[in-house]
Amino acid sequence: MTILCLSHPDWRPGAPPRPELAAALLARAPRIAISGPSGGASGGAPGGAPAHPVIWADVRGFSLHGQAELAADLIALLAHRGVPGVRAGLARVPVAAELAARFGDRAVTLVPTGNDRAYVALFPLEALGPDPRLRPLLFGIGVSTCGELAALTQESVEVRLGAPALPLWRLARADDPRLLFAPPPAELPHASLDWVEYALKDPARLLFVINTLLERVTATLAARGEGAREVTVEFALTNRQSHVEVVRASRPTVNRRTWFRLIRTRVDAMKLHAAVTGITLHASRVAAREAPQADLFDRGLASVQATEDAVARLVEDQGPVVVAPQNSAHPLLDERTTWVAQEPAKVVAPRYAGALMTDTPRHTVRFTTLPAVVRETATVTPAPSTPPAPRFTPHLSLQLSPTPCAISVETVPRRDHAAPVRYRDEDGWHEIVQAAGPERISGRHWEGDTAYAREYFRCITRDGRLVWLYRDAAPRAKTAAAVANRQWYLHGWWD
Amino acid sequence: MSIAALRALIAEKFPSAIPAAQRTVLPVATGIPVLDRALPNGGFPLGKLTACEPLGGATAILRAACAATIDAGDRAAWIDGALTTAGAFWTEGPLLVRPRGDRQAVAAADLLLRCGGFRLVVLAGVALADADTVRLVRAAHEGGGAFVALTAQANMAALRLEVRIDAEAWQWREDPFGGMAAARDVQLHADIRSLGWNRRVRFALPVASHELRLALDPGLVDRRGKPGASKSGNQRSRRRVNPV
Repeated sequence: MTILCLSHPDWRPGAPPRPELAAALLARAPRIAISGPSGGASGGAPGGAPAHPVIWADVRGFSLHGQAELAADLIALLAHRGVPGVRAGLARVPVAAELAARFGDRAVTLVPTGNDRAYVALFPLEALGPDPRLRPLLFGIGVSTCGELAALTQESVEVRLGAPALPLWRLARADDPRLLFAPPPAELPHASLDWVEYALKDPARLLFVINTLLERVTATLAARGEGAREVTVEFALTNRQSHVEVVRASRPTVNRRTWFRLIRTRVDAMKLHAAVTGITLHASRVAAREAPQADLFDRGLASVQATEDAVARLVEDQGPVVVAPQNSAHPLLDERTTWVAQEPAKVVAPRYAGALMTDTPRHTVRFTTLPAVVRETATVTPAPSTPPAPRFTPHLSLQLSPTPCAISVETVPRRDHAAPVRYRDEDGWHEIVQAAGPERISGRHWEGDTAYAREYFRCITRDGRLVWLYRDAAPRAKTAAAVANRQWYLHGWWD
Repeated sequence: MSIAALRALIAEKFPSAIPAAQRTVLPVATGIPVLDRALPNGGFPLGKLTACEPLGGATAILRAACAATIDAGDRAAWIDGALTTAGAFWTEGPLLVRPRGDRQAVAAADLLLRCGGFRLVVLAGVALADADTVRLVRAAHEGGGAFVALTAQANMAALRLEVRIDAEAWQWREDPFGGMAAARDVQLHADIRSLGWNRRVRFALPVASHELRLALDPGLVDRRGKPGASKSGNQRSRRRVNPV
């Protein structure tokens, strides 16, 4: 038996059981549901008529004796709450349990496992609450009990009574599709070890135990095709307290070495107030392992896992160093880019292996079940001899100094500005042979100290480098001397 | 035993010891045909260190090599040790790593080279110590990918590439007044040296220009100079004072 049904003669479609009763019953039963008066998949009237309100309890996992005991407890609890005379039915199928609860002659009626259909067959069809439109048809063919209806074949029911009679026919056969309680969630993998004769405080010894526990947890996860995203390590201490460490990985993984490295880092930095007498390790957050789908002809497919592991380890060791730029429309190049950390699984996905990114046509082989005549006449088009054009044009691009480097600059007057002719950085003086500019840019004048005004120059040095210099022309300098001594910066170079 | 027989025996027993020019495995091409023809066997050797001296233009060549690698269906990684990569000019494709320091950059290169999933790993902006060079060369040998370091000092490099920019060969777009507006392209000299290989090649590359926005603030449209634009402040205030 897996379903316990509780019914009371006073519970009718217009007067369902009070919801607070369910809360009270939950103190004894693991899961409780009240079928609504409007019916529905989880508790509606079996035959289509308005639902007869009942209370359902999930008794999966209880022994037979425990189920009967629970039923008696619930009946007593309801009587204590002012609802005497409740009857219970225990069966494997909901409709059998409901009929047992509603029409059983004892307080608790048990329908033996495997006898649900035979038990339902004993009842008149009215017990299932058939659709009123079916009653004359059923009377016409002389069917009055569930057993008589269940004896018919599906085809004969469809022909004689029509398709609307099929749900009633199924229930008469104790074929109840209602899913009253979802399957209970699977227990997350865990492992534990306790010792009483001694206590440990040495991290190396603790790690030895953790490694053993970790092997069991990762093996269980691997067998389920899942990966842990978070592992919780609980240390039982001699002072009767516990210390919990939650370790997270950047992606779901069952790699024991990865988890051990992460836990070891945490344990090395951990401070315990007492010695340890037991360790419990469980995967507290679990997700399906990502298995990227890819092109069989992609060269990078075979190395996806190794590459992903390497990138994940890089991220775990150094933090979010694998990045991609996110650019805004800010006028200043140094404030335009935000570096966004990338997920290891995404950056090594096969689309990054290029074959799927290119716009160039690819020559693929398609295996089909063509007729022999077509196969014999099929011809293979030879690949074009000219190589596809590359999608990237090599070019010199601007490289930015992480922060603009202050430099000394010698200038000469040119029209309305001063043009640089020499500058000195940490490598010494560099002579400028050509200078283009200035390109003036300014903004944030209404924000005080953050206002900027720059005069950019593109300059070619004697050794051929194209550098990007700017003169800070922000309106902070008030005096003429301050204006004359405005600082120059090396902001970047083309490489 | 003759010299030829000895060479054949070495090639058979120690295939990774033969010069880059005599290898049979296709190397990593740069995507610049002129340069590829000058490189031994047509590209950067696999499982070896290539030292590229950062004298100007080296980044463009290595970016092109990364793009060519991606186009060929392989992976490439760029370790930006000096954090000089401008996000506005980065082309999606290679794995971009921005480590926090030189040690982290070397560790990242070691990890990516050793995993064998990258056909090309570029380490830029890090001065390699001898011990680091040995470590990374071993990692490249183990992983089988091409390793290119943008560094002047690399004692164990199988291939050395020196690229210089010709100061006199910059081509400029002119502004309406005949002045220099933006660089258009430039001539590069590349010296390629390897065991039994010495080539010099000259080629031109375009220069990506960066146009500064003139708006005072991002999101604001620059309407200066637009005909029929809104009236000046004085005109507006005059109108407010004398509504009639």
